[in-house]
Amino acid sequence: MSEDDQNYHQLNNDNNAKAGEDTSLAVLRFLRRKWMDSWHGNPPGKVLFLLGLLTGLIMSIPIIYVIWQSLFAGVDRWRRLLDDRIPQLLLNTFSLTVAVTLCAVLIGVTLSWIVVRTDIPGRKIWQWLLALPLVIPPYVGAMTYIIVLGPSGWVQNAWREVSWLVNMFGEYPIDIYSFWGVFFVLTMFTYPYVFLIASASLRKMNRNFEEIARSQGMNTRQIFWKVNLPFLRPAIGAGAILIALYVLSDFGVIAMMRYVTFTAAIYFQRASFDTASASILSLVLMLLTIVILWVEVKTRRKSKYYQTANTFKEPDILSLGKWKIPALIYVCVIFFVSVVLPIIVLVYWSAIGIGRGALDARFFGFAWNSLRVSLFASLLCMVLSMPIIYLKSRYPSVISSSIDKLSYAGYALPGVIVALGMIFVFNNHLPALYNTFYMVAIALVIRFLPQAMQAGEASLSLVSPRIDEAARSLGHPPWKVMIKVILPSILPGVLAGGALVFVSSIKELPATLMLRPPGFDTLAVRVYVEANESFYYLAAPAALIIILISIIPLRYLLKKY
Amino acid sequence: MSYIQLDHVTKYYNRAATPAVDQLTLEISEGEIITLLGPSGCGKTTTLRMLAGFEKPTGGSIRIGDEIVCDDRRSLPSEKRGIGMVFQDYALFPFLTIEKNIMFGLNKWKLRDKKKRVREVLELVGLVGFGTRLPNELSGGQQQRVALARALAPNPKVILMDEPFSNLDAGLREKMRLDVTNILRKANATAIIVTHDQKDAFSVSDRVVVMNEGIIQQIASPKEIYRCPVNCFVAQFVGKTNLVSGRLCPDLKHVETHFGRVCVPQQTNKELENVVVSIRPEGCRLAEYGRYSGIVERATYSGEYQELHVRLQSGDHSNQPMVIYAPVEQEIEIGRAVTFNITPELVALVN
Amino acid sequence: MKKSIKSLMFIASLMLLVILVTACGQGDEDELVVYSSRNERFVQPLLDKFSEETGITVRTLHEADALQLKEETGNVQADIFISNDIGALEYLRMEDLLASFDGEGVETIDAPYRADDNSWIAISARSRGFIYNKDMITEEEMPKTMEALMDAEFEGQFAITRGGNGGMIGNVSALRNEWGDERTAEWVEAIKDNAGGIYSGHGDIRQAVGAGEHPFGLVNNYYYHQQLEEPNNNNVGFIYPDQGEGDMGVIANAAGVGLVNGAPNEEDAKAFIEWLLLPENQLEFVGESLEIPINADLEPPYEHAVRFADLKVQQMPLKDLGKYFEDTKELIEQSGLDLELR
Repeated sequence: MSEDDQNYHQLNNDNNAKAGEDTSLAVLRFLRRKWMDSWHGNPPGKVLFLLGLLTGLIMSIPIIYVIWQSLFAGVDRWRRLLDDRIPQLLLNTFSLTVAVTLCAVLIGVTLSWIVVRTDIPGRKIWQWLLALPLVIPPYVGAMTYIIVLGPSGWVQNAWREVSWLVNMFGEYPIDIYSFWGVFFVLTMFTYPYVFLIASASLRKMNRNFEEIARSQGMNTRQIFWKVNLPFLRPAIGAGAILIALYVLSDFGVIAMMRYVTFTAAIYFQRASFDTASASILSLVLMLLTIVILWVEVKTRRKSKYYQTANTFKEPDILSLGKWKIPALIYVCVIFFVSVVLPIIVLVYWSAIGIGRGALDARFFGFAWNSLRVSLFASLLCMVLSMPIIYLKSRYPSVISSSIDKLSYAGYALPGVIVALGMIFVFNNHLPALYNTFYMVAIALVIRFLPQAMQAGEASLSLVSPRIDEAARSLGHPPWKVMIKVILPSILPGVLAGGALVFVSSIKELPATLMLRPPGFDTLAVRVYVEANESFYYLAAPAALIIILISIIPLRYLLKKY
Repeated sequence: MSYIQLDHVTKYYNRAATPAVDQLTLEISEGEIITLLGPSGCGKTTTLRMLAGFEKPTGGSIRIGDEIVCDDRRSLPSEKRGIGMVFQDYALFPFLTIEKNIMFGLNKWKLRDKKKRVREVLELVGLVGFGTRLPNELSGGQQQRVALARALAPNPKVILMDEPFSNLDAGLREKMRLDVTNILRKANATAIIVTHDQKDAFSVSDRVVVMNEGIIQQIASPKEIYRCPVNCFVAQFVGKTNLVSGRLCPDLKHVETHFGRVCVPQQTNKELENVVVSIRPEGCRLAEYGRYSGIVERATYSGEYQELHVRLQSGDHSNQPMVIYAPVEQEIEIGRAVTFNITPELVALVN
Repeated sequence: MKKSIKSLMFIASLMLLVILVTACGQGDEDELVVYSSRNERFVQPLLDKFSEETGITVRTLHEADALQLKEETGNVQADIFISNDIGALEYLRMEDLLASFDGEGVETIDAPYRADDNSWIAISARSRGFIYNKDMITEEEMPKTMEALMDAEFEGQFAITRGGNGGMIGNVSALRNEWGDERTAEWVEAIKDNAGGIYSGHGDIRQAVGAGEHPFGLVNNYYYHQQLEEPNNNNVGFIYPDQGEGDMGVIANAAGVGLVNGAPNEEDAKAFIEWLLLPENQLEFVGESLEIPINADLEPPYEHAVRFADLKVQQMPLKDLGKYFEDTKELIEQSGLDLELR
């Protein structure tokens, strides 16, 4: 009792620390006070905090390293790149990003409008058929279109046979290895992002607003421009940003179709071991990505529409009338170009490949490599995401949200940058792990951890914090609470996240390509290598397997949007 | 010496100008059931969570049993405090059976002891035979009892209950008050219950702590709290009351109000001239020739009684009408004059 | 409850499995790590044969670059470096990144095709030349010298690779040796302007020429033989340039093998080189590349091969390519030919 009193008085005294008191102790106390304040007086357990902090650091160090390297690349190199390469790359990258984004948004929005709001035959089936291009990795799509439209491709061979075409248009006019080739492939395989987001918002759109507009004498077209489009704007914005970020980060399509944007330039600079230039280009690309993310944050804040839920009425379905046939043709063409034709090409070449014995021991070796590195990465992601999401949701503070944001660094930035940083870090500071399977797995974790985090977070938000407190009051320390109580509650979400990471890892190309240790090629790497050498019969079976695996989380993706 | 002691406990939330709990000092003896009563935001839940270790006080110290669990230097994590907690939403682990839920806190016990203890507490809460069910297969009241059983199982030093009855409907609520009290008494547990409902507080606890704005207003037995609220806040928060200002008569046993002299139960020792008295509506009994009179302005029928608003006949018309409870069988006409007496036991001087 | 425990167990066992499996694959001491910059299709069968005959596991990084060895100086990974370019091997030797070798079989390769300390040994050779489409251009119309590519008459007629291509770098290095830097720079600039197409690799050029997109292209000789083996578009011919009186002779380069300095598995690395020097395996090294074995006792393993003895070859010793390895790229880039496609 009397001791407690003393403690209390001491507390009051230590603000005006006496002259004789040790100043370092005062500093320590001050820090401790700050520390407590930053956690709102409720700091997490040490084990948990360190786990989270460690993960956050692992996630961001490679990228920090790239920035660091680029800052010390030397003025000369900077000047040379700024004078010569960077303007050209900016132009290439920027024009491609804008063109693909615009066109994909246009296709995505029109398709979703047709499928959700009109009486097109088979609209329920179209709703998920048109999302199918999501399961085809764009670099696989690029390969199929090189086969179809490229030099010595199907169309060119057919062109030669038909004399009137040659007479009218002259030589075969399509050059797939060009801006337009890259633009076409990227558009065809990214539009589903907009399609899904726009469909979801169209389905949620309240009919009341349209009825009001109609009662004020607007026709369907006016309603579309004045009522529907403003409601769709957030969805369009979100979809556009997803696509823009994708185009910025894509490596496979761009490299295979021999167009050069930042990612390809970084890869090739690295391939010729001009790592200083590679890091400079990486820094510029990072800035570009950050600008887009910043735009996203800005627009998202501005455009929050709330629809009143209690008076919700399903939107009505418009009759297409004489437009039925053209609309159906449009939908069919897009579906054919983005799904049917690529699959036909792959099946055709796979059949040839299997005939020629492409499915040999080596092939299964590659498949096994893909499988184990992806499994390992997804398990790591499931484990590592737990402390971060737990910290973020149960101990909200500046520190935990910084850890959370750090973890998104590798997700937002292109894979080539992550790989570049990994090479720096591992070769110089972690030689034991350099050039091992683990290096690839860690790169995959850095790239895809946020997918596991998002899935886990969604589940964790449904678990009351009272559950944790109940467990703690029953004598379990925080880390044990996480394992015994939280994990079983959110296991389905965590597993779903793991599955997403698994599929992303199977598809991942640039980081795997740059980091693979000797003798460790994956299916994705083989698709890239063989397709570049025009050995399509070897590339097609691997691509087909990747697509089959990608179908697994499609249901989850469709539900998410 | 008291069993649990909170000494000048203060809690500031981040960047808040006023404390959520301000210099709270409270002593609780072993086996006692205490209720923290107050409106939402009064600091009662914060106090409970500080006891449990889910929040760290900004200042002050807390002792449970022989152990100082928290002072300005260190703070014992809640898992080491030996508390049992029952939450408003029960927080039963949905993926564990009732048995496993109860065993959860017995992690260091031998398996045979665990089983024995589970049987004991299930018996105590009257749920023998429910052990293998999952929480969502039980009714609200049953879940409540499981939550209590789970908290009691490890023989905690103190049971903390956060709004234990607020999720139950009226009928069940009354039964659970009784059940919980019986269980706690049988287990001879020390318990601290947080509630905003005075009926909960009065029916289960030995002592009630009324709080407002982070400050303890009054600590007393339920009866005393009701009959002798120390200030306006307590008087108004605990049941309906009429607050009337007046002047203390020199005999210190009567108060001169605008409608007449009112008798207080005991001679006060306060040397004040201007005072406020609280007069409970049920302390005013209609009588044929009562001491006080007024005109009925409004009558509300509420089942057990009729609530009358009576405009008192006095010189000052700006005063509030008096609230009086009348028996339901009595015919009341609006606009008629009534007379009544005031029972001194339900009159209190308040600050 | 049971469900969650089951899935936990499932995860745990999966984790264990993966770790076990990966542990088996990693850190095995008796693995040979080979970095190769040579076409995977030629190298992989050779390495498979080696594994089969000796039981030594080989892990290979294809499309490796000599500079990766330099980057890993402090953390040596590779035991063996197989290169398509002698310049790269000699450069590594000069940088002290290769170790000397004195095993059996070295004498089967003539001294000009080995490093002084045998730290690298060339096995198969190739030359530069022009593949042409016989439907589009006759042998007479074709240029006969490297210099002729600068002529305006061939403007838009031919295809070349990007500047960073190994074959192109070797070609330019040889010209620097022959002509000096100034004239070489002029040549690079001129062929860049004259070229009708610039491709990433030679495989694209042979296909493009075969398909009739360009009359001819600057490639290595074996691409001609590869195109001959194609089922269609195979009406192609080949010119070995600079064969006339007073001409410099064809520019040659070779593929070979180097022993990495500080190799983690030096023992097996040496065993590999000795194995490789067996005549049978030298032929396997040449393999499907359609190059020519340097060992004069060996018959080229395919038809229509032109032996080096029958050609006039440029005088420069191959190892001199090493001197130009570092700055040839710079010269190419400064002359306006991009190292990478843009």
